[in-house]
Amino acid sequence: MSTPESIQRGDDLRKTKQYAAAIEAYREAIKSVEVPDGEICLKIARCFDAMGDRAQAVAWTLRVVDSGEAFVHWQGAASLLDRLLKHAAPTNVKRRAKVWLCGSYTTVQLAPLLRLAALREGMLLEVKEGDFGQYRQETIDPKSRLYAFEPNFVVMAVHHGEVALPEFTATPHAAIDGELARWTSLWQTLKSRSKARLVMHNFAAPLQNAFGNLAARLSGSRAAMIHALNARLGEAAGTSVSIVDCERLSSHIGKRTWFNDRYWHMSKQAVSLEALPALARHTVAVIAADLGLSKKCLVLDLDNTLWGGVIGEDGLGGIRIGHGDAGGEAYLAFQQAIKSLQARGVILAVNSKNNDADAREPFLKHAEMALKLDDFAMFIANWERKPDNMRRIAQTLNIGLDSIVFVDDNPAEREIMRQFVPEVEVLTLPGDPSGFARALGEYLMFETNAFTAEDAAKTEQYRAKAQIAQLEASSGSIEDFYRSLQMQAVIEPFDEMHLPRIVQLLGKTNQFNLTTRRHGEAQVRAFMNDPNCVHWYLKLRDRFAEHGLVSMIIAKRVDGGVMDVDTWLMSCRVIGRTVESELLSHVSEAARRLGCTAIRGTYIPTAKNGMVKDIFAQFGFEKKSTAADGTTTWLYDLKSRGPISNGFIERLEPSAAPMEEQTVDAA
Amino acid sequence: MTLHERLEELFQNVLGDDAIALRDEMTSTDVPGWDSVAHVNLMFTIEQTFGVQFKGNELAEFANIGELKAYLARAGS
Repeated sequence: MSTPESIQRGDDLRKTKQYAAAIEAYREAIKSVEVPDGEICLKIARCFDAMGDRAQAVAWTLRVVDSGEAFVHWQGAASLLDRLLKHAAPTNVKRRAKVWLCGSYTTVQLAPLLRLAALREGMLLEVKEGDFGQYRQETIDPKSRLYAFEPNFVVMAVHHGEVALPEFTATPHAAIDGELARWTSLWQTLKSRSKARLVMHNFAAPLQNAFGNLAARLSGSRAAMIHALNARLGEAAGTSVSIVDCERLSSHIGKRTWFNDRYWHMSKQAVSLEALPALARHTVAVIAADLGLSKKCLVLDLDNTLWGGVIGEDGLGGIRIGHGDAGGEAYLAFQQAIKSLQARGVILAVNSKNNDADAREPFLKHAEMALKLDDFAMFIANWERKPDNMRRIAQTLNIGLDSIVFVDDNPAEREIMRQFVPEVEVLTLPGDPSGFARALGEYLMFETNAFTAEDAAKTEQYRAKAQIAQLEASSGSIEDFYRSLQMQAVIEPFDEMHLPRIVQLLGKTNQFNLTTRRHGEAQVRAFMNDPNCVHWYLKLRDRFAEHGLVSMIIAKRVDGGVMDVDTWLMSCRVIGRTVESELLSHVSEAARRLGCTAIRGTYIPTAKNGMVKDIFAQFGFEKKSTAADGTTTWLYDLKSRGPISNGFIERLEPSAAPMEEQTVDAA
Repeated sequence: MTLHERLEELFQNVLGDDAIALRDEMTSTDVPGWDSVAHVNLMFTIEQTFGVQFKGNELAEFANIGELKAYLARAGS
């Protein structure tokens, strides 16, 4: 039966309330389609809803997000989702957050799309909207609904109509300075009254421009000044404000689509409905990055993915990669795109069905390859099933399967991965390799909210980890192993320079994280200013690699002379090498200095942090309570047990250590 | 699907309510959930689905669903 006939049959069955049969008919219609159309996903979702299977209904509703960016489908899905969520909590929620959506135009259409796009990425957002156009008043008035809501994020959806710059001025610098100050003072007000992170939409410069091409070389024209203002806003944002680059996004979509004058005049839609799904997707990606949900690792197939042809059959001279051939150039462009991602902190790994020696040969011998073996943290080429290899990659690199993105030219391998390892995000590649680089470029979940020196050196660190795993297997006693690593650490109280990395770690550390409290920058500053608080970060190096800032602890003296450990976490890269005892020993020293008699620890279980559930017991803490949700509290009696110490890591003064990292300007 | 069925499914999708059953004599006040927000969504979705473009706020000026259907039929949908 043809596709339209199957859909028609599904529609007829649905009309007569034969929902299970209707679903079968719809599935028949999409059986050979990798990414089904949004309309049919919605039809299936509605059938499941009518049958009372809300989990399946939600799953099919979320597939609309993958189907494309048609507002009609997104709006229908968002509206169905809002209804479904009234009756049932969704599964697989990784983060929850409250979002205040305010702006200079009608945002009622955007709000449900944000919820939809967010849940696709595992975030359950509670979105509340400000009154139309009242974003300034609500920010300035300390008693406004904004502050009463206590949001985690404030999304400021503003458009060029809010930019107070003239059509032309002879003094553009002064004009831009003034306009910049008008925005940054609003940011400051928000920051001083709320812990919310601001997500600001920057300004898509309008199509209408009386100077035309001349504006590009007329710095006093409004168009030129809007571009300059965007750049200045980016500089001012630094690491403390997130920006959705609407100027870039509107160019990407096309401004003739982004702006729709008819809908602007009728209902004050400054961003056209056509463009709202993309705007929602990008806003959600920025929020996800702040909540630590960015993907960490890109796992790649080789044959017909990184080069044309099959290395095991065609040989080194037979594969297509590099200049002189359209196909070879397309693969090269894809490799270069991957290399750029790697350079900014995405870890790469290979998961290929090949003989290992064959698979490595192009990387070692082919002059045109942009990617080299050193670019990969892990390289698996064998004849095992790819899902099994994928689990091995996640285990060895000690990262979650849900932080991995898989790229394979073969739709069957993609489908197998989706079936057997549903946590892994699988990119859909077009048939023609010339489209690979763009498909990767349009994937948003590699976005991060800062760029640090650690990010730039990540592959080195993860590769070192794989080498250490080998060393561990070959060395004698565990103590010998620790000593052989020649570990050196710098331990210092939190400071301004390291704040971005500290907040980044707080946001994304899942496994070694006792309480998983996602403190933002404002809360961290509050700890830094509290005389009863102690806080340290730890930077580590060993003979293999500079690991940078990988661990931190925050503790606070509370009533009764008890030092309460609020947060204790460590990057999974350095688990299993006694780093944990280092910071705990610092807390024990400080506790005694501050006249405390005991240290209290708390373990709050999550889906990911089972590995540390007994860590306090290992250090001699006594369990004091177990709550219904599994949260345990522990007490360490300093008088009877003495201080906690560790002997395998050499302490360095900060000045002696070339472990400096700087926050690199991402703009 | 007939024009009526397509329009009915469109309303159900936009308003997130599978129980909506359209009749020709219905006005916007008779359709549950047809508020100002839904109006813009309906207008856009009808334009996209049936390939028409309303002039100004023409959608608000139809007397009832029957008139809207007649308009869409004339437009060749």
